[in-house]
Amino acid sequence: MSRAHEKYDVFIGLEIHIHLKTESKMFCSCPARYGDDPNVNVCPVCMGYPGALPAVNERAMELGYLVARALGCQTAKTTSFARKNYFYPDMPKNYQISQFAEPVGLNGMMEAGFDDGIRGIRIHDVHLEEDAGKMIHAGDVTLLDYNRAGYPLLEIVTEPDLRSGEETEAFLRSFQRLVRYLGVSDGNMDEGSMKCDANISINLPGKGLGTKVELKNMNSPRFVRLALNHEIERQAKVLDGGGSLVQETRLWNENRDITETMRRKEAADDYRYFPEPDIPPFRPDEAFMAGVETSLVELPLARKNRMAQEYHLTPEQADFLHDEKSTADFFEETVQAGADARTVAAWLSSDVRKLCNREQISLAQSPLTSARMGSLLNLISSGKISGKIAKKVLDMVFTENADPEAIVKKQGWTQISDPAELQTIVDAVLHEHSAVADAVRDGDVRQRGWLMGQIMRASDGQAAPNVANQVLDKALGL
Amino acid sequence: MQSTAELWSALTADSEKFAQYVQALRDIDGRVGSFLSFSPQVVSSQKTGSLSGIPVGVKDNIAVEGQPLTCGSRILENLISPYSATAIQRLVAEGALMVGKTNLDEFGMGSSCENSALGNTSNPWNLDYVAGGSSGGSAAAVAAGLVPLALGSDTGGSVRQPASFCGVYGLKPTYGSISRSGLTAYASSLEVIGPMARDLQLLKESFRVMAGLDSMDQSGTAGSCSSDQTNGTIAVLELDEGVLDAPVAEAYRQAIDALEALGHPIKRVSLQSLNLIVPAYYTIATAEASANLARFNGIRYGMAPTFAENPAELMRKARHEGFGDEVKLRILLGTYVLRSGFQDQYYGQAQKVRTLIRQELAAIYQDASAILMPVFPTQAFKKGEGGMDEYRQKTADVFTCLANLAGLPALAIPTGLSGGLPLGMQLMAPAFGEERLFALAKELEKTFPLETPEGALDIGSLQ
Repeated sequence: MSRAHEKYDVFIGLEIHIHLKTESKMFCSCPARYGDDPNVNVCPVCMGYPGALPAVNERAMELGYLVARALGCQTAKTTSFARKNYFYPDMPKNYQISQFAEPVGLNGMMEAGFDDGIRGIRIHDVHLEEDAGKMIHAGDVTLLDYNRAGYPLLEIVTEPDLRSGEETEAFLRSFQRLVRYLGVSDGNMDEGSMKCDANISINLPGKGLGTKVELKNMNSPRFVRLALNHEIERQAKVLDGGGSLVQETRLWNENRDITETMRRKEAADDYRYFPEPDIPPFRPDEAFMAGVETSLVELPLARKNRMAQEYHLTPEQADFLHDEKSTADFFEETVQAGADARTVAAWLSSDVRKLCNREQISLAQSPLTSARMGSLLNLISSGKISGKIAKKVLDMVFTENADPEAIVKKQGWTQISDPAELQTIVDAVLHEHSAVADAVRDGDVRQRGWLMGQIMRASDGQAAPNVANQVLDKALGL
Repeated sequence: MQSTAELWSALTADSEKFAQYVQALRDIDGRVGSFLSFSPQVVSSQKTGSLSGIPVGVKDNIAVEGQPLTCGSRILENLISPYSATAIQRLVAEGALMVGKTNLDEFGMGSSCENSALGNTSNPWNLDYVAGGSSGGSAAAVAAGLVPLALGSDTGGSVRQPASFCGVYGLKPTYGSISRSGLTAYASSLEVIGPMARDLQLLKESFRVMAGLDSMDQSGTAGSCSSDQTNGTIAVLELDEGVLDAPVAEAYRQAIDALEALGHPIKRVSLQSLNLIVPAYYTIATAEASANLARFNGIRYGMAPTFAENPAELMRKARHEGFGDEVKLRILLGTYVLRSGFQDQYYGQAQKVRTLIRQELAAIYQDASAILMPVFPTQAFKKGEGGMDEYRQKTADVFTCLANLAGLPALAIPTGLSGGLPLGMQLMAPAFGEERLFALAKELEKTFPLETPEGALDIGSLQ
């Protein structure tokens, strides 16, 4: 906590926008897809042609309710759309279809882990809306790409319950994890599938909220932290010096690491909201809500705590394993197939993680499946390969995209752990080096190691050391 | 005898006769000015169906793929629609021919067609008089015999008033019964596409073809009207002395008498909310218009200034130069009534009036099959300076706005002539009661046979 925190209470609230993962746009059947040539995914509806009407994407509606439900909101018995009126060149209709009086969710709470433990951050509301196009300034012309216009957005508005840049960053990372767990959004701030604006005020302790400043243009959770911390210090300095703050919108300048005034607010923006006459209110029926319940998954924080307890994981392991749902699923699938939980956890959080980093892929994208992980661990526990060989096998799973058994077989890395088979090798070695064997029998145990080396050599290094040792000791009468 | 539909179908199927028809239409429309654009080449795509070969004039705020969609405005003067309205697609699927786009008050805002930036439409009965509005071009085209069927849109009377001024039938269907997809929005919660014709059977068939739910318009409605339990009782709106011009008042009496003579019990009713109708209508209509017309900014289509410093200036210039005064007035009014802090006073209040009106009408329909009332307090008025001022035109919308605020179907029925200009009355039914209206109109047809203006196109002469 900074010096400013000792003197002032800090209040941070967020407006988070996520692009919903749907096939088509919010109000028309154009593909909701990134990366296509400009202005190809457009139609009269999303281009705002005269007479074109919006038709609600039911999948987006489902995802909206799912997030509202996951955030513990009261989900709306009736939800409706409104027009938010303002002129902007990249907004085809010059009003945005959004939700105002009846959003999909209200009064929720999201728990997240902070330095001082788990705390709930209140959610004011969750509402659906449409995205605008993209404006590109190129020299003395302005270009417009409407592919993104009408893309389904979900806005999540929190109460000002966060207290620092660090907390906010942690909250955002938890939030990203949540939407990825639910499969509703990629939640990538750098790719633009998630956006976060913050409002922040500071005040003397016990005095309540101060003068609100809005922060924009923060393109990663890290920038959100830096911008907020910079802003807390800036505001504290103003108040320390006896000055007063201005209600305004400021932009984060990531090149200079400072916030800069964008516009001062004389009065509140007047968006002249009124009910969208083109879209009747939506009243989810039982089947719809049952579908939402079915899509609900165990949320990240709950899963982390459960896995830590159930599988006796270290906090670091639990943290790592729950970060991505696919990793947690991978882990639990492998354990359920019979592998030892802590062994799986150890492999995933060390060797597997390193290989994923080396290949720059996620576990889910990697050739390693939970079945392959299980069989690799099985090869070790049954004594077929050593831990050292196993690491080589794992590497080859990544490079060759093959099953561990096949790799072991192809490479001839199977250990010989059958005592009878080893007996034959041991007998042959002792016969060949009978003088050394006799010396050991007579008490010169120092040479026993040399004999073991001969056994390994005779077996092409495949003798399982522990079994070979036992057979050798027995043959030497030790 | 051949039906109107059959006569037209035969005419348009014959290329030689069709060419004669096109020429006759051009000659007559040179005087009337009902069409803004005319595309007779579409005859080649003739399909078989219940409207096979029927030429249709389409109000130029309804999208027809490949044809202009000007809305009577400079700002859309060069726009060609990339798609067709659902209503148009359904008519075309039944073989109808979309032959051209008709004049209108800019974006449907007006009662005379004089607010069009692109055309000058006259009443075929007397070229010194207005055709009415906003669907004046469609009404004039039908009255002048240029097309047997035309589409208008009715936001506050825009089908019924010009139909009445020009002496043709004009239907404002139940809100949502015909998809609005492709109808340029003026006041979304009030308006609906409606047909105009001189032939009741054709009017009815075109409504049947266009009506029905559409996935492109989620505000659509479907339903049916419960059977009449009132013995065909007609409620008649009692009006103060002097509200109607003398010829209209006389026509109103005649229509009441005619219905009574046809055996309909007459029940006199009054409407408490009558004085609230026009203020509520203009509050809602302008509020919605202020948002609906925001999309016209010269960027993606439509008129753009030759030079602008930046996108914001481009939008300002396009709107300043592209919109007419009446449109600007209504956008300003709508922006005003939607301001934060003023919504309860205006928009919210108007919505309450709407509920009140619906309740009052529902009570009347307990004892009546339909309500009879005038369409407009006057007949067609003179064009230009000698006409009706804009404010009076607005207050005169009272009888037509009622059906829009309540979402109910209403049919304008020609009831003869006075002073060489048509007279008309309207019947309004409960939701989805269009069939009831057609039946009543059929009954009245004998009392008030349709008149034809001099100089109208006579397809009989082309046979």
